[in-house]
Amino acid sequence: MSNKLLAGLAGAVGVLVIGIIVLAVAIVASSGGSSSGSKNTAKLSAAGNSTPGAKGSANTNTNSGRAPSSNIKGGELRVPGDDPLTLDPALAFDTTSAEYIVEIFGGLVQLDKNLKIIPDIAKDLPTVSPDGKAYTFKLRDDVVFQNSNRKVTAQDFKYSMERAASQDTGSSTADQYLGDIVGAKDMIRGKASSISGIKVIDDQTLEIDIDAPKSYFLSKMTYPTAFVVDKTQIDQDKRNWTRHPNGTGPFKLKEWKIGESLTLVPNDRYHLGAPPLGQITFDIAGGSALTQYENGEIDISGVGINDIERIRDKNEPLNKEYVSKPGLSTFYIGFNTKQAPFDDPKVRRAFGEAIDKQQLVDVILKDVVPAANGILPPGMPGYNKDVKGIPFDANDAKQLLQQSKYAGKLPPITFTTSGQGANVGPVDEAILQMWKDNLGVTVEVQQVETATFFSDVKKGAYQFWDAGWAADYPDPENFLDLNFYSQSNGNDAKYSNPQVDTLLGQARTEQDATKRYQDYQQAEQMILDDAPWIPLFYEQDNLLVKPYVKGFDIVGMIIPIYRYVSIQK
Amino acid sequence: MTGVFPFIVRRLLAAIPVIFLVTVATFYLGRYAPGDPITARTQGKASPETVARLKHQLHLDDNVAVQYVRYMGEVLRGDFGTSQRHVNQSVSSIIFPKMWISLQENLYPFFLTFLIGMPIGIYLALRRGHWQDPAVTTVLLVLTAIPVVILIPTLQVLFAAKWKLLPVSGWHGIFSRNIVLPTVVLTVPGLAGIARLMRISMVQVMDDDFVRTARAKGLQDRIVIMRHIVRNALLPMTTAIVGSLFFLFAGSFFVETLFGIPGIGAESIATIGARDYDEIMAITIVSTVAFVIANMAVDIAYTFIDPRIRLITQ
Repeated sequence: MSNKLLAGLAGAVGVLVIGIIVLAVAIVASSGGSSSGSKNTAKLSAAGNSTPGAKGSANTNTNSGRAPSSNIKGGELRVPGDDPLTLDPALAFDTTSAEYIVEIFGGLVQLDKNLKIIPDIAKDLPTVSPDGKAYTFKLRDDVVFQNSNRKVTAQDFKYSMERAASQDTGSSTADQYLGDIVGAKDMIRGKASSISGIKVIDDQTLEIDIDAPKSYFLSKMTYPTAFVVDKTQIDQDKRNWTRHPNGTGPFKLKEWKIGESLTLVPNDRYHLGAPPLGQITFDIAGGSALTQYENGEIDISGVGINDIERIRDKNEPLNKEYVSKPGLSTFYIGFNTKQAPFDDPKVRRAFGEAIDKQQLVDVILKDVVPAANGILPPGMPGYNKDVKGIPFDANDAKQLLQQSKYAGKLPPITFTTSGQGANVGPVDEAILQMWKDNLGVTVEVQQVETATFFSDVKKGAYQFWDAGWAADYPDPENFLDLNFYSQSNGNDAKYSNPQVDTLLGQARTEQDATKRYQDYQQAEQMILDDAPWIPLFYEQDNLLVKPYVKGFDIVGMIIPIYRYVSIQK
Repeated sequence: MTGVFPFIVRRLLAAIPVIFLVTVATFYLGRYAPGDPITARTQGKASPETVARLKHQLHLDDNVAVQYVRYMGEVLRGDFGTSQRHVNQSVSSIIFPKMWISLQENLYPFFLTFLIGMPIGIYLALRRGHWQDPAVTTVLLVLTAIPVVILIPTLQVLFAAKWKLLPVSGWHGIFSRNIVLPTVVLTVPGLAGIARLMRISMVQVMDDDFVRTARAKGLQDRIVIMRHIVRNALLPMTTAIVGSLFFLFAGSFFVETLFGIPGIGAESIATIGARDYDEIMAITIVSTVAFVIANMAVDIAYTFIDPRIRLITQ
């Protein structure tokens, strides 16, 4: 009995272990290497409760990280990173993917470090017809795809943009970024198989016709949806071509180990000049970025709220390596202006004036971000530092509430925030307390999962909520028109002001830049007076950069920054 | 042995309705829960028209039963669908590499739990009635009871922050120092269970008749133990081993998230949040099949170990 038992046991376990090994081998064989990431970084900063602050935290770490390879010519830059969700420019909708895409791919134009539009694959900025509706681009003749050395022509651009608009591709950004082009909307809706407004005049000349003289159109061309991709490569491998993308950008993808690291190497044939860096290694496996930075394992790190005081202290040696600049995002409280009690602007302003933003910034956020005055953040063209925001005035707030039509009979009010974990962040908690103390109003809170939060906001399901808006391109149209034009899809506050509509309409097609920004500033002031939003804070990027890393500037938006960077040891 | 093959076939056939029910329930619950992959992905930045169009392209406005049949048809042809969160990438190319990572993550803990737990269990059985029995058991139970979300940061603070011996987090494969803390966290909770299981199984047979017979025959105690008691206690132990073999690829969400391991546990939660229907279904199907096979394997192992459990062939 005992021997047969042992034999049987051994046999059973053996068979099953072999089964496991076979299963494991099958899994490995079917995997094929670089797939995609594990974190969902939504592009719109659904900031909700999280306090702005990058990867730094208080934990220290003796990572088994390496020193930079000293034998790479040009040096190796090591930075923290996340797995991209996609490397297809037509599909990118989040900032993480965009960070890599702008380095690997390129378009007609790009943004420089000052957020000015400069030519990329186009030789110069386009000539615009007198009616402002026809843009003619002359392409450079020295731009080639990285891996195949095939020259980029106007046909490639027509192909790429039509691909982005095609239903097969399933892009969610084509509507916004290509929708102004004549015939684009038809293709997006499946009524046409090409975009009539994109005309190939010859190999090096491309004409794009738009439906109205919109001055912000060129800005939209800096976004990945308008980038050029290689038709030859995509035709060969429709599903997996993004694993070895054949782009035109300053860097090429060398290797991507999901969850571990992503490596970029320079494109020596880059038409705007081969980047000086020898290699960029994005450390995805992570650990505390700040500790890695202090240990010399990475060269750039974010500074989070837990460490910001230490780093800002002038006596701290790291303080010399600290850089800080605003980012183009605004974090705000939005109202549904068609629902009680926030259909009354007095109530909205009352709630706004009851919030002491400076105290929130000083005490809770430790000055990690600046308090917001207006809607447009600093650095955005058209930013008005003198705009009259919603000041903190508890007495006036109470008075406004008394003067409103809901005086003494406010309906139950619920504040909705996004996220999970049944834990409202410290900022929201403080604000709720301020409403209690300064207005005498008790507000209920509900937390909704991010997946449905934004569509619920659009449906008008909430009385008021908090969210963030990050600039997609550096033009005030992106902030003001999309959010406050009464007919705009993005007007979640359901705000409607005919005077604002007029100003926005004018600014849309105004060719004179100065007059345009004046229109936007006037509109912004009117909007602030009506308070469909209460701007709370702007984004601030706080970083530590090693002294031997030259040329890295915080730009506030995602641009191909690494081609300006060099290492000088 | 004649009963085994028809037995397997019968069990596989019985598994089909189980898999069907689980997949139907998951599919319907997913579809009826608020949200959908396009809404979750675009987060309000795309126009309602774009969202509606993309949803239509994914056939999300079809009858749910039709969608189910279509999806399961694809699965049977080997296609687990396309992810919407990792836009347009095939689900198999996402979940299988992550399962592979979770499998690696669970490899050491799997062996260690048994290699350490079983001897502890034997020791406890031998020391039953003495103070070591409840003392060691208590320690093990306390270790098991510590919630993993507390255990992990505690270990990170001690071993990484204070004593600087190990990295806080990160994944560099099973031969790097990063594997140490996750292994500890995944092994410790299982130890108490295995040790107690071993102990109980041994104690049960220690008093059996045949053992007393062997003792009466005058065999040395040690031989009595090794040959009879432990062997008989291996039955439930085999159940445990075989049962957990098929879940080696299932990762723990907390361990993976807090240690930065890109495994299937962390991915499962993220994919639900993103309402990535195809990926949710794929993970469900793989897990259900694994569960069914695990149970079947345990039953087969039983028949080898204890012939008293007969396989009914008629």
